[in-house]
Amino acid sequence: MTIETEWRDYDVVVVGSGGSGSIAAHAAAESGARVLVVSKDPIGCSDTKISEGAVTVREVGDDSDTQAGLSENLQMAGGDLPLPSITDAFAEDSKVSYDTFRAHGLRPPINAAGDKPQAMPLPMGGHTKRRSVGHANNGVAFGHAGWQAVIQNAQIDYIEDAWFLELITDEDGAAKKVVGGLIYDASGGKLIAVRAPSVVIAAGGLSTLYFPKTDTMRGNTGDAYAVAARAGADLVDMEQVQFLPFCLASPPSYEGLLCGEPSTASFLGVLRDKDGKVILDGVYLRTRAECSSAIMRAVEDGRGSPNGGAYLDMTENMKPPLSGPYFYRFLETSLPSALKNARQALGKKAGKVEEAWEVRPGAHYMMGGIRVDAHGASVSGNGDGDRSRGIDGLFAAGQAMGGVFGANRLGSTSLTEASVFGNRSGRASAEAARNRKSGSDDALFASSIDTIMKRFGQSGSVAAATLKVQLQKQSWECIGPVRTADRLAKIDELLEGWTQQLDDVAIPAYTTWNQAFIEFEELRNMLDTAKAVAIAAKERDASLGGHVRLDKGYISAFSQPYSTVVRHEANAGWQVQRAARERTPLQRIVSYKIQDAWRKAQAKALRLMPMSVKDKILEKRYRAIMGASGAAPQVEPGGVDAAIGEAA
Amino acid sequence: MKVEIVLHRDGQTEVVEYDYQKREPREKPMALDVLLQAQATSMPDLAFRYGCRARNCGVCTIDINDKPRIACRARVRDGDKLSPCATLPVLSDLVVRRDGIARQMQGRLPSGGGGNDLNVEAPDAYHDLTACIECYACLDNCPMHARNFGDALPETVAPEDMPDASAGYRWGNPFSLLKLQRIRLDPVTSVADKAAALENALELGLDACVDCPGCKCGVGIDLKGQVVKELLDATDLTS
Repeated sequence: MTIETEWRDYDVVVVGSGGSGSIAAHAAAESGARVLVVSKDPIGCSDTKISEGAVTVREVGDDSDTQAGLSENLQMAGGDLPLPSITDAFAEDSKVSYDTFRAHGLRPPINAAGDKPQAMPLPMGGHTKRRSVGHANNGVAFGHAGWQAVIQNAQIDYIEDAWFLELITDEDGAAKKVVGGLIYDASGGKLIAVRAPSVVIAAGGLSTLYFPKTDTMRGNTGDAYAVAARAGADLVDMEQVQFLPFCLASPPSYEGLLCGEPSTASFLGVLRDKDGKVILDGVYLRTRAECSSAIMRAVEDGRGSPNGGAYLDMTENMKPPLSGPYFYRFLETSLPSALKNARQALGKKAGKVEEAWEVRPGAHYMMGGIRVDAHGASVSGNGDGDRSRGIDGLFAAGQAMGGVFGANRLGSTSLTEASVFGNRSGRASAEAARNRKSGSDDALFASSIDTIMKRFGQSGSVAAATLKVQLQKQSWECIGPVRTADRLAKIDELLEGWTQQLDDVAIPAYTTWNQAFIEFEELRNMLDTAKAVAIAAKERDASLGGHVRLDKGYISAFSQPYSTVVRHEANAGWQVQRAARERTPLQRIVSYKIQDAWRKAQAKALRLMPMSVKDKILEKRYRAIMGASGAAPQVEPGGVDAAIGEAA
Repeated sequence: MKVEIVLHRDGQTEVVEYDYQKREPREKPMALDVLLQAQATSMPDLAFRYGCRARNCGVCTIDINDKPRIACRARVRDGDKLSPCATLPVLSDLVVRRDGIARQMQGRLPSGGGGNDLNVEAPDAYHDLTACIECYACLDNCPMHARNFGDALPETVAPEDMPDASAGYRWGNPFSLLKLQRIRLDPVTSVADKAAALENALELGLDACVDCPGCKCGVGIDLKGQVVKELLDATDLTS
């Protein structure tokens, strides 16, 4: 049996149907383009749908919330790695972009007096202003809206159960342009060769490299980065994977799911090793990297818990008679999904915080990605990069793109990233398609089609699903939350070996939903993505952001910041270089450092006080945080207020 | 622990007994754990859908002992049978084709607020319905959905008679009714669009609900009370 190829023509192809893909498709269609959405999962079933559903909308708190203020807020949080032009765009568009979700049925709580969405009561996730809006049913409500934006629009065709395999490009001297792509339509049992001058990649992240040590969707197999890199696009900040330190380590069904953040450990929470020894105190003031590092160092030294983690012990918070009950209410309300996971997974006693929880870091979000400008267009070259040196017609949005967050994220920003850059890339891709309608040369597709056709019926001695499991294990060991030069060298060697084994993967010939072929293609993407992470991690020769170099120190806030840029060249293979970034003014860094030291000193003093004094102080503090409603302001997994130590 | 897995591949059907190896002595595995372990070990080409593993994304629904369950949060016992959802056509193993459901909704979902002010609070009942995770468990025993397959299950339909999913199914289901009722509850929807939503419900086969004992939601939404009854009461079908 030979798989057949169907040819189609569109102005814009959008890869992915989550928050950013659905908005991009809508925006491109509104701009007059004929759009094809390609989604491997059912429409809208993405990280957006399973998120906490809080979104950053400038000015919902008060009118003094300036564009410059929000942009700088993102810059500082990201360790000066984000591009100012991109954070400016985020700040400028956050309000109007959010309304695209609302136009498709997202209904936030309303501040009637102000005639606008109701902001959450306190600034969230390291924000300097109140500008986050929460939603009933969390991310599922966004899922419905994005779904409707795709389903309803007559200008948008979509295929789900379809894997976008390869970008097809044409070369004109040094310049490269998109001419289309190749798709495996699993339910149709055919290949689709689509001719299109613009492609928007909105295919999410890479956390499945670390499965099951992740709380994200299965589909995050790095497709976005691998497809772009194979076409010759630049990737930026690929070492910046955000790991959350407190995910469940057992039982197996719950492995990887979130059970807390540094801030939810509250004033008396500590981390302990298997012998009960405190390995990190003052957890609530620590960065995620500090927490992850403490856990993983214990594991390294053989003092880890049975499932390769450590114990998050919050029981001291429960003991004081006055403040104890407040703590539990705080835990219940600040991150409800996390406590729910812990209760279900660990049982009654743990659910009441009468015993410590076994925790382990897990992958949550990719902050790096396809290197783009403020319109989501592929760029290359020095500094901020230049669109004329990128791939003409290639765009990215959402988790697939880099440059928005750098080394760390503010809370409630990923859904804004999706809508702002979904809208921007959608419009820009439609405009690019208008300017370059010319037909492409079908011969450019020939070699890719031929290669893929031959995979159906490929004989071999290994299974892609088996190699995938090996890769996931080693990715955790070598390019996970802790890294060393030795491990980065080791993964390089392993990746080389697995890549060579690709031709020995057995794939049956049947064409309708061929899981072996799907596993093969996803494995190929995961291998390329792991390579990009590894080479960027090698260039980032010290600790910054969500991961720790065990063999190096932390990058000083006073040093010149840089981003890593990775690309794959047909002849030279994988290349990495640095792109200089602007540093936040010294004065601001110094003032932050002083504040941080002061906070930690206060925390230490509190811990050493006698119980009765401590209890009164804590009760007062909980009351101040939780106010009249008796509920703590929600924190966002990955947000900066969920890890106060990162609130730069 | 032995579990039966029903495989459909390349036109062949086969029942395989998989011996699940518990990873902890007291482990009570979910159906998804069984499928993941089978794929990682002796059945690498096993096809099944999953996403978040936390009952949020709605894609991993399968039948366990012939009843729809969300695989990531459905515990299995010795001797259980795992098979694809019987209510939709099988693509491969435990994977069914889903898109005929969503496609029937094109042109039926007003967007943009029809020029109305978006800054209006939606009622609680609206949010009760957006809790739907689109798991399609509600298709089970639905007489309206069964009309697409000659009042029966897709497995009874010859391939040449199978309705074309890529055109959207002709007849609706509790999920499509939920989407329409949600539009009627949306304070932003115009009067004309609210009326159109009811027309669409009738057109998708709301009459099938008249004598139906009711549908069951995978995540606990009161479909019968909050969706079907509300729609029926707005028509003269039950009077």
